[in-house]
Amino acid sequence: MIAESETGFESTSELRLMWRNTRMVVLCAISAALYAAVLVPFKVVPLIPGVTELRPANAIPIVCSFLFGPAAAWGSAIGNMIGDFFGGVSPGDIFGFFANLVYGWIPYKVWQVIGRGESPVARTPSAILKYVIACLAASVLCADLVGWGDNLLVIRPFAMLGNVIIFNNMASALLLAPFILAAVYPRVKKGRMLYEDMMPEVKRRPMAIRIVGFSMLIAGETGAWLFGNLLSAGLWMPTFLPAAMMVAPYDKPIAIIVSPFILLAFAGLFLM
Amino acid sequence: MPIYLYIDRGTFVHRLHPTVKVFALFVMFWSVYWVDNPVALLPVGLVMLWIAQLTGSWPNFYRLRWLFAILIFTTSMMWLVFYQLGEPLFTISLFYMNPHSFSVPLGRFSHTFRWGGHPVAVNVTWQSIKFGFGRGIKLAELLATSVLFLSTTKIEEFTYGLQRMRVPYRVGFAISLAFRLVPLFIDSAVTIVDAQRLRGYDFNQGGPFERIRRYVPVVIPVFMGALRKANNMAMALEARGFGYTHEPTTFIEYPVGSADIAAFAALIALGAIYFLLYYTGVGGIGPVK
Repeated sequence: MIAESETGFESTSELRLMWRNTRMVVLCAISAALYAAVLVPFKVVPLIPGVTELRPANAIPIVCSFLFGPAAAWGSAIGNMIGDFFGGVSPGDIFGFFANLVYGWIPYKVWQVIGRGESPVARTPSAILKYVIACLAASVLCADLVGWGDNLLVIRPFAMLGNVIIFNNMASALLLAPFILAAVYPRVKKGRMLYEDMMPEVKRRPMAIRIVGFSMLIAGETGAWLFGNLLSAGLWMPTFLPAAMMVAPYDKPIAIIVSPFILLAFAGLFLM
Repeated sequence: MPIYLYIDRGTFVHRLHPTVKVFALFVMFWSVYWVDNPVALLPVGLVMLWIAQLTGSWPNFYRLRWLFAILIFTTSMMWLVFYQLGEPLFTISLFYMNPHSFSVPLGRFSHTFRWGGHPVAVNVTWQSIKFGFGRGIKLAELLATSVLFLSTTKIEEFTYGLQRMRVPYRVGFAISLAFRLVPLFIDSAVTIVDAQRLRGYDFNQGGPFERIRRYVPVVIPVFMGALRKANNMAMALEARGFGYTHEPTTFIEYPVGSADIAAFAALIALGAIYFLLYYTGVGGIGPVK
């Protein structure tokens, strides 16, 4: 349990702080197990064989994120790691770990900025739009990280992974997660098991800083996605880089051009 | 799809210290990472086949045989398209991409990005074939590494290994608990699917997305059941002193033996040899003409 002297942490320390709360540790394990339990059976249904499989399980981190906040972020990362053990692990899975961490971390953080007190299961047009924005923000940075990492290690090209992952994540987030969330969220809220009830000691930053962070996140992840695609497909040859660098598999140009955008997105995420 | 791949055989690989096994996983990744040439990947592949024979892991490889085949084929094809260096053996024309551009108006830093305006074709070269096939073999070897690791390592050994590598106890505990909960949740889901089928609910109606959506009524009870467990589990853990900051004691002890030291030395040698293959250029696919 958290000692009284340790209350009043800012939101960026949530990811560290949650490990001191036994209930959050258990919820992290449950989020991970639920994610892996849906992930593993679908390992045999490849969407693009050898690249990624059909992942209805990707609805779970979104649902858990709105419910359990930081516990869902770690749960998503651990659940994906367990899933990877059944489909083959590779050095690229280190990036997969962090990509899934942000996939479970971003939705509730974005909701805290744009949600304005609205419930994520509200059926108003503005709530639906905000939900789509939150899921898209999470999906794009998740795809950027895996595409960037795998292209850096020359395992798979960014243009292949980056787009498939966004499609896969958004399909689950839009077609499955809303139904599960609508059924589960009111019950969890009633049982006072939402992350806000579990970790009341976490303070949020001032709204102005969080809006700046959100803008940085969107700018960073959009830039990373755009330039990652253009570079890895050989559609853009930056003149300021040596010509010798601009050859397949484009790992060096991606490292030089996409990395700052990834860092910008992370800086924004930490400010939120 | 099997949940646990562990095969209890009691071979010397099974008996190795968990830290050595986790280290072996990293060394295999390291070794495979440095080389691109399919021929250079052959020795480490042979080592894996030898370990598979020694540990009796073939049933797991047989279960995943299609995954291996698909992985090699699709990865080779993918890099054939994206890696087009060297003298073309032949060219496959795909389509003509119209010219596109977009401008970023930033005063004197303004820039116009242009792409397209050329035919899109796949140049199949000797280098792209070697590179693509090498990537396919590489990913298959990484998959084989994880199959061998899971065939010979229990979950508690894996988390013990992580803790010895300075992963915090609570993180290790969450990983271990999650591993153990996966089959429980799958079992509950299967029971709910059977119950719904008995009531006449058809899971196979509609297209692929509709079929997936029809599983939503299965996920919700599993989810709620899991949450009901969470509170009790947290109370049980705290009653047993989980909240204390110091590391708890364990019944499981893994002494380090001579086999562990020999395996550790062999792994270091393997990692070093593969780095040398990269460093001397032997592991590459040769110069691009």
